[in-house]
Amino acid sequence: MDGEAQNESVACEKATLAPVDRLRSNRAESPTPGLVEGTEPGAVQKSAFFAHAQSFEDLTAEAEEKAEQEGVVEDSGQTEDELQVLVGERTITEQHAQDVSPQSRSKEEDMSSEAWRSHRKHVFVLSEAGKPIYTRYGSEEALSSTMGVMMALVSFVESDKNTIRSIHADGCKVIFLAKSPLVLVGVSQTYQSDKELLRELQYIYYQIVSLLTLTQLNHIFQNKQNYDLRRLLAGSEYLTDNLLHRLDRDPGLLLSAVTCLPLSNSVRDVVSSSLQAAKAKNLVFSILLAGDRLVTLVRKKDQFLHHIDLHLVMNLVGSSSSFREGEGWTPICLPKFNTAGFFHAHISYLESASDLCLILVSTDREDFFNMSDCKQRFLERLTKRTAYQALKEALKCPSYSVEQVGIPELRHFLYKSKSSGLYTSPEFPELYQSDEEQERLMGLYQDLHSHLHHPVRPLRFFYRCTNKENLLAWVTNGFQLYLCFSPLGTKAMAVSAVNKLLKWIRKEEDRLFILSPLTY
Amino acid sequence: YRLAGTYPGMASGMQEKQYTPSLLSFFIYNPTFGPREGEEEKKILFYHPSDVEKNEKIRNVGLCEAIVQFTRTFCPTKPAKSLHTQKNRQFFFEPENNFWVVMVVRNPMIEKLNKDGKTQTIEYQEEEMLDTVYGAVVRQCYSMYKLFNGTFARAMEAGGVELLMQKLEKFFYKYLQTLHLQSSDLLDVFGGISFFPLDKMTYLKIQSFVNRVEESLSLIKYTAFLYNDQLIWSGLEQDDMRILYKYLTTSLFPRHTEPELAGRDSPLRPEVTGNLLHYGRFLTGPLNLKDPEAKFRFPKIFVSAEDGYEELHLIVYKAMSAAACFMISASVELNRDFCEQLDSLVGPQLTLLASDICEQFTVNRRISGPEKEPQFKFIYFNHMNLAEKSTIHMRKTASVCLTSVHPDLMKILGDINCDFARVDEDEEIIVKAMTDYWVVGKKSDQRELYVILNQKNANLIEVNEEVKRLCATQFNNIFFLD
Repeated sequence: MDGEAQNESVACEKATLAPVDRLRSNRAESPTPGLVEGTEPGAVQKSAFFAHAQSFEDLTAEAEEKAEQEGVVEDSGQTEDELQVLVGERTITEQHAQDVSPQSRSKEEDMSSEAWRSHRKHVFVLSEAGKPIYTRYGSEEALSSTMGVMMALVSFVESDKNTIRSIHADGCKVIFLAKSPLVLVGVSQTYQSDKELLRELQYIYYQIVSLLTLTQLNHIFQNKQNYDLRRLLAGSEYLTDNLLHRLDRDPGLLLSAVTCLPLSNSVRDVVSSSLQAAKAKNLVFSILLAGDRLVTLVRKKDQFLHHIDLHLVMNLVGSSSSFREGEGWTPICLPKFNTAGFFHAHISYLESASDLCLILVSTDREDFFNMSDCKQRFLERLTKRTAYQALKEALKCPSYSVEQVGIPELRHFLYKSKSSGLYTSPEFPELYQSDEEQERLMGLYQDLHSHLHHPVRPLRFFYRCTNKENLLAWVTNGFQLYLCFSPLGTKAMAVSAVNKLLKWIRKEEDRLFILSPLTY
Repeated sequence: YRLAGTYPGMASGMQEKQYTPSLLSFFIYNPTFGPREGEEEKKILFYHPSDVEKNEKIRNVGLCEAIVQFTRTFCPTKPAKSLHTQKNRQFFFEPENNFWVVMVVRNPMIEKLNKDGKTQTIEYQEEEMLDTVYGAVVRQCYSMYKLFNGTFARAMEAGGVELLMQKLEKFFYKYLQTLHLQSSDLLDVFGGISFFPLDKMTYLKIQSFVNRVEESLSLIKYTAFLYNDQLIWSGLEQDDMRILYKYLTTSLFPRHTEPELAGRDSPLRPEVTGNLLHYGRFLTGPLNLKDPEAKFRFPKIFVSAEDGYEELHLIVYKAMSAAACFMISASVELNRDFCEQLDSLVGPQLTLLASDICEQFTVNRRISGPEKEPQFKFIYFNHMNLAEKSTIHMRKTASVCLTSVHPDLMKILGDINCDFARVDEDEEIIVKAMTDYWVVGKKSDQRELYVILNQKNANLIEVNEEVKRLCATQFNNIFFLD
């Protein structure tokens, strides 16, 4: 055990340049100080399965070229006919999905009404010709003149060889993102920073690209500038609606990370190796989800799945119940992998009433039966093992309560291991059960996150006392940590809580993280 | 800390050039003045720089109108305040119904020499400016105009659009040259007043001085008393004093540095007036009373009164480091007699008071021990009485504002201030910057305190203790949320 004095120096952690040593034997019980990336609790043992995602810098980075060089994905230079076929194919899956449209889409809302205006966050997508493509609230038709104004503002500023970024009023801001051939506009009454809101718009952009590919999008608008994209996206709006809902709620999207189903290491290893064995020529990623939690992910050697792409897959799966009715086969573009082409995803649940959903991503559109076969082989292998029973058992408690950590003043926390791109967080405590309170807590985390990741004035450490709660955020080379305490807690208590929590996570890391991801 | 303009980058030799934020344009318009197409130019009441082509002016005003109108779609009650673009930021302010004041500031930028050694690439630093700071600068511009001219509506009533345009031109042409956008910071957001710390005895002396003068010269409506550019006494409303204080400390006083300090042959050293009994002199009005040609015209200012505003003569009279402002209704004509009377009454007393205060000040200094570089620097502001105190700013003059900390730290203070402004509750924020400096912000009951600590190896608990000590010694009667 480290001396208490040393533990209390949490806030002045000194990053060393010691070589990254990922051997388990070298993992200290308490990871601070002197922690380097790759030794933090939850760090991966071999190599991560995510394309190395810092936080959101790479959201804007053009990683596409690299993916194209790798050339695993078929090119989608489709002709118009093929496009129609694709769309036809697509809408079948989506028709199934209609039934789970989230919160009744308030399409009929009058945009001059107070109710429409008072939504916390509006999102609009339009074409460069100013044609409406998507609105979160209200109907696109009724908003066509407003969207026309938005486009006019964008092009007016552009005509000065300049780019419009945002408009600010007290308690309200408008953010613009021009992503040719689309323009995205967010109107927010939250306290989120411009950068955070921009990140959310990027997600929406990628959501649309994942349905059509950028190549197709460009193709469509090059042929007909005035094209009404809603014709192609009809029936898919719920995906964007749901993604926006997730952006307000899901810490994973904030942290650029994914959380795992708590599972004993040995069980997870069996599941992973079963999935690893069920490989096929064109299979690139095998993903097993339990709801929104990752059970395991196996990937082709040298191919990485970006967390944004995984979030889009999770959004697709989580948004539609149709996959429960049988095996789904759907084209999906993973825009952070390659904006030019489609992958084809085989999506099915292991058992009809189970939360375990298997996604097999192939490069070949004719691969349905091969993927179906992979799934069968995986299931056969897995069901023979006792691990399957243990996995199903683990589904019964997919999360944990903060009380298990044993720090009385601690209400909630988020912990992200940087090298693995995975995070862990307890369920929301009683105080934050209502939708408003959960969104408020998420808002506090978003706030901490944007302070620590300020584009030009990043911070190492942030502590805030308010009447409702005390918050602490800390970012190091190895991890990010966000804690929410009762307002009665002291600073000394907060400092010792950080140490205690890090030790607890280290102790539990086998269950909470995927330490040894596999490749085919 | 860089002062102004440009400097060649240090790290990369002469490859980089850094540009600080600079004023691109400043204009005032009223959309109701040229509602018909083809009449748009009539909306524009003032435009700087004036040599911009007419169509360009109309275009830029048009963009502002569109932004304001568009923002109303989403928040009808809260007007647009700023527009961010890659190259610049625009700040909007509607001080009077339909009158819009707009300031366009170019983002700071870095000019980099390309590898070919000939061409340059410009990189705009879009996140360097704080909206709160420049929004405050625009509001200050208007307040300063109003201090010397009254409201826009007043000019409209008196002489229509033409008079208003004349007044705007006359005022802003000069005023905009004195804007120093690169050194604007949190202090502009507060717009506070620095008070001179004083013992009770000396304070009472000053109060009785003010009473005596006001009694003898009954024309005087209001008096303000400053020492060392810090306020001691004011009879004006807070908001009026705030802008007058800004004018005195950043414009008038710096233009009249102490003649006692100027060299013997300096042109600043006035003619020896023959009056060796006191050091009093007028900073406004007659430069030399003995001069038979002397003019007895004083600047006019507008302050709030029960029925709107009142117009006053502003007399600023100074002896050594003590300055007294006397305000007299503008309807009275001031003449030589009055000025001589004032000079002979106020001059000797003010000289005496100035040396009293000075003595008191040095005694206090000696008690508090030799000046040691403290481990912390702070800014304090009280919203209730506008009191401001900064140990970060070494000197604030018309041209430069010298701060003793890195500009990034100042901006972190600004960021924390923005957080505080969101809710009306007491809060505390402690952050550690990438440079390992600790910054602490405390808000309690209308008071804000920001501390920068230079103890890089301290932890949260030690930082907390340090700030507690500071509060106990510097602000012993103020309660801060622990």
